Amino acid sequence: MKKIEIAPSTKTGFHHWLSQRITAVALIPLIIWLVFSLIEIALDPEGYLPVFFAYPLNAFMSILLFAVSFYHGSLGMRVIIEDYVTNKSKVHFYIMLVNFTSITTAVAVILAILKLHLIN
Amino acid sequence: MSNDNKNKILNTSKPTSPHLQIYRWNISSITSIMHRLTGVTLYFSILIIAWFIVYYTYSYGSISDKESCDCMITNIFKIIFFGAIIAIVFSLYYHFCNGIRHLFWDIGKGFELKTAKLNGYLSIILATLLTVVTIVITLYLKLF
Repeated sequence: MKKIEIAPSTKTGFHHWLSQRITAVALIPLIIWLVFSLIEIALDPEGYLPVFFAYPLNAFMSILLFAVSFYHGSLGMRVIIEDYVTNKSKVHFYIMLVNFTSITTAVAVILAILKLHLIN
Repeated sequence: MSNDNKNKILNTSKPTSPHLQIYRWNISSITSIMHRLTGVTLYFSILIIAWFIVYYTYSYGSISDKESCDCMITNIFKIIFFGAIIAIVFSLYYHFCNGIRHLFWDIGKGFELKTAKLNGYLSIILATLLTVVTIVITLYLKLF
């Protein structure tokens, strides 16, 4: 029987694994905060939504939420790409695409939240 | 095994995940694949939400008031939008519940077959229940 060739380790697996868990733990309080603030928004959408980011806690928590979830999300998407895409150059391309999209979107949304926080 | 299949396996340098078409379903595999599916859903929905916030910020004050229209197209879009919101909400609750399960496994707890099966069902039921509560609250407050 032919032995299956295994790709050499890049030695980044443990850091990747640990980052995924740390961001997961960080997301627990952030998601609970998100659900409660969505309830608050739902009770008074017209009055509360336009000034939502004016409150320091809301701006702070939502910037943290976006940053941590984009990091967690790109790590998770990387695992899925590595598992289901078999072509090696495609794997690298998709991982780069996910990282590029995550970083640009995170920067754009954090700037937007800061702007909404400061003009209100 | 056919020659074509053999070549396919030799060309890939590592084993791939379970092939879903020839897999016998059980609760552990369902929760696992749902964790991945909901994760991908959440990734794409957070992208859309983030770019919507960016759009809202830079067109602040210039978004004209929505005129209420009873056209068919608008209503269809409303229904699709509501369905998408429900899917995202369910994904969020499910990924949250099942993620906590995964974290317990990472600290080495809950590996007994009975416990793992039980809290697998629990995470699905809890996520469904929370989604139903959310739908009821949204309909009660007439947000749609």
